[in-house]
Amino acid sequence: MIAYLVRRCLGVAGVLLAICAVTFVIFYLLPSDPASAACGKTCSPQRLAEVRHYMGLDQPVWRQFGDYLVGIFAGRDLGSGPHALHCGFPCLGYSYDNALPVWDLLMDRLPVSASLAVGAACMWLVLGLGAGVTAALKKGGLLDRTLMVGAVATASLPVYFTAVMLLYGVVRVGGLLPYPTYTPLTGDPLGWAANLLLPWTALALLYAAMYARQSRSSMIEAMAQPFIRTARAKGMPRHVVVVKHGLRSALMPVLTIFGMDLGALLAGAVITESIFGIPGVGRLFYDALQRSDQPVVLGVTLLAAFFIVLANVAIDLLYAVVDPRVRN
Amino acid sequence: MTRHTRAMSASLGASLALALLGACTGNADDDGAGRHQRPGVSTGTVIGGTPVKGGTLTVLSDQDFAHLDPARNWVMPTMDFGSRLLYRTLTTFKSSPGKVGSEIVPDLATDLGRPSDGGRTWTFTLKPGLKYEDGTPIKAQDVKYNVERSFAPDLAGGPDYAQRYLAGAKDYTGPLQGRHLDSVKTPDDRTIVFQLRRPVAEFSYTVTLPTFSPVPASREKGVQYDLRPFSSGPYRIDTYERGKKLVLVRNTHWDPATDQVRKAYPDRIVVQQGLKRGQIDDRIIASSGPDASAVEWSDMDPASIAKVLPRPEVRKRLAAEQTGCTDMLALNTSRAPFDNLELRQAMQYAVDKSAQVTANGGPALNDIATGYLPPSLTGVRRADFIYGRSTTGDVEKAKKLLAEGGKPDGFPATITVSTGDKTRAEALQQSLSRVGVRLQIQTVDPSVYYDTIGDTKHAPDMAISGWCPDYPSGSTFLPFVFDGRTIREKGNQGNVSQFRDKAVEKRMDEIAAMSDATRANQAWIDLDPSIQRKSPAVPLLWERKPLLAGDNIAGAFGHPVWTGQFDFAVIGLKDPAKSQG
Repeated sequence: MIAYLVRRCLGVAGVLLAICAVTFVIFYLLPSDPASAACGKTCSPQRLAEVRHYMGLDQPVWRQFGDYLVGIFAGRDLGSGPHALHCGFPCLGYSYDNALPVWDLLMDRLPVSASLAVGAACMWLVLGLGAGVTAALKKGGLLDRTLMVGAVATASLPVYFTAVMLLYGVVRVGGLLPYPTYTPLTGDPLGWAANLLLPWTALALLYAAMYARQSRSSMIEAMAQPFIRTARAKGMPRHVVVVKHGLRSALMPVLTIFGMDLGALLAGAVITESIFGIPGVGRLFYDALQRSDQPVVLGVTLLAAFFIVLANVAIDLLYAVVDPRVRN
Repeated sequence: MTRHTRAMSASLGASLALALLGACTGNADDDGAGRHQRPGVSTGTVIGGTPVKGGTLTVLSDQDFAHLDPARNWVMPTMDFGSRLLYRTLTTFKSSPGKVGSEIVPDLATDLGRPSDGGRTWTFTLKPGLKYEDGTPIKAQDVKYNVERSFAPDLAGGPDYAQRYLAGAKDYTGPLQGRHLDSVKTPDDRTIVFQLRRPVAEFSYTVTLPTFSPVPASREKGVQYDLRPFSSGPYRIDTYERGKKLVLVRNTHWDPATDQVRKAYPDRIVVQQGLKRGQIDDRIIASSGPDASAVEWSDMDPASIAKVLPRPEVRKRLAAEQTGCTDMLALNTSRAPFDNLELRQAMQYAVDKSAQVTANGGPALNDIATGYLPPSLTGVRRADFIYGRSTTGDVEKAKKLLAEGGKPDGFPATITVSTGDKTRAEALQQSLSRVGVRLQIQTVDPSVYYDTIGDTKHAPDMAISGWCPDYPSGSTFLPFVFDGRTIREKGNQGNVSQFRDKAVEKRMDEIAAMSDATRANQAWIDLDPSIQRKSPAVPLLWERKPLLAGDNIAGAFGHPVWTGQFDFAVIGLKDPAKSQG
């Protein structure tokens, strides 16, 4: 088991390194020049060279990449002299745009994106599993068909459509909620929830539809297994059969995709955050892309990759515990 | 179109669009063509009357400030915000809509500066009793220190006029390593003397830039000064979470008796950042609760205009001053086909400028440009109509010039625009097809637009490009846009046409050396048509900056110098009790 864990962790490091390298190269190939952007509207060649040197962009790309990797563990200095900035472990560099350490920016925005992701996840699990299991138990009936048609319809609506519709209906015409302005959970829990209700709903509707379809089919599959028949034959009450035996085994594939989805969302829901004006990691990413702020883009990409890879490992470990065969 | 589809396209459009230009100068009494088409939006007038002291003013923004550090602040609306609220400069602009707003008055200084040595030396004296937010006195040395900071490569991005004008500054790289600049002298705590490389007639205007505001050396924090500039103005920073929220509170050490411009009506100013553009418009139009005491930071979404103009009670809360920027179609003069004068001149007649107005938000937000210099720089008189008065072009004359240029059947040409300007490129494509010019459109993301067209070796034949003067003087416009010596191989900005003309450059140097500001300004105005005759670019639009103010806002108008941004010196509330906090 320990050897398996070590192997997996090395794999994670490899994936992150590859993503880091690819992002670096993509930015290197782009026509944008961060030094020229930082230098201002007009900039003499001499000054541009000074700025480029200060930003470390006069180094060859492999050297910049090496410095970045070493910097993650050993820390780095930006500039020299009494006002040089030092960023310690884990140093992901500084934003070209505002000279804030990328790590601080990420940690500042992460609670916002986590609030969005976790709240939405709770909503879609309840909605999706509820609809899926109900449909599976009433397979072929009117309720099943209604739920599934509804799920297909909702899943086919892109989030930027649902989000804008929700804003229009609930806020602009209905006046039921104010325009969302993110409020931290710690200051005002009620305001936090009220302001996130719409973004949660927009995201949850999309995911709930997919989860309803997924859980319906796994539930149908599970309920057709011989052990269910056995359990029924033994005279177990229906709710015990459904929940303890059917749902439990049907949950496994659902949890697999849930881990991945939550992992991806933790690193920011770019569209949802942009439409609702939520200052999360996704919004940070969007703004950084607009300004060619490469260190921030790289930081968010790594964070996203980290969460997704982490979710994968967690799921695999869960499998490994349940099923010793996957350990090899 | 139904209401909700409009709301939707507004929100979608906002995520794609990105304003490429800063914004604005207002000129209420220009005699422009097309004035009759303009619906009655508030230009040259003050929204909401005179404010009452107190309350919280909210600013709703879709973005963070690029830089609040006065040495690095070179985005017009942010220069307005910074120099009206947080730092005072040696001189500043009057707080008034229309032309009066481009006039300067002393701010930190007692007068507009005293030139000597034929305009090569400028002396300013600081008013007595000026204080920072901690009550310590503002010294002439602190103004010198911030001027020096603007040379540091670490603190890049700010106005570069100090680097252009100061003597002996060639290899100077800022004070962070302890070196100082000999050409700025401070004989005592209240006197500062600038020694320039050449006569600069309009130096009184130059020192309105945030570069010429005080930063005490003891407050130096390098790049992190951006997060918390030390205040010499009427407000100080309470909290600033970049990209989220900025809160300003009163600086109790600011003395209104020393300040003839800033009124500082609100007790607090809260800037809420990272919101969505279309939603900001909707909130301010609705003006419910605290939104009534809010103004918007960025241009109103063009899609919102249909929600505003038909409703008089909302329309009167819309400011739409001219940005003072000129939007142009740059022709790449470095190679065929536009190394040919006749073919370039043909484009002046071939372009349908009315179609550009329509594609860019309509006549409420645009005037047709008839010259390179914006009306704010030319005064009441507009530049001559070199290429006729038709706003839709003159196909016959264009064809004749094409024939003279050896291309009677037209030619293929490339144009690069940012994604937000695609409709405008299509309108150009259509109007140029009338004379056989087949335009091939390439769209690029706004974030890489200027780098793409600024790569001179791979530059397209045409590009939409604009320039905004830094203060009302032709010296901040034509030399940046048409001086061939400013062209850089990569990251080329300003002279997108790559226009190199010895006669024009010689004349620019002559005008720059004039010691009489009025004469120099007239010379710039006269140079404009002679450059137009050489046709390096087709002037297209003088845009306006549309900004909405809430129902409870008073004293709001677009300031003519800062691209039409609301003047934060005098904005306030009708009823402070209605605002929250």
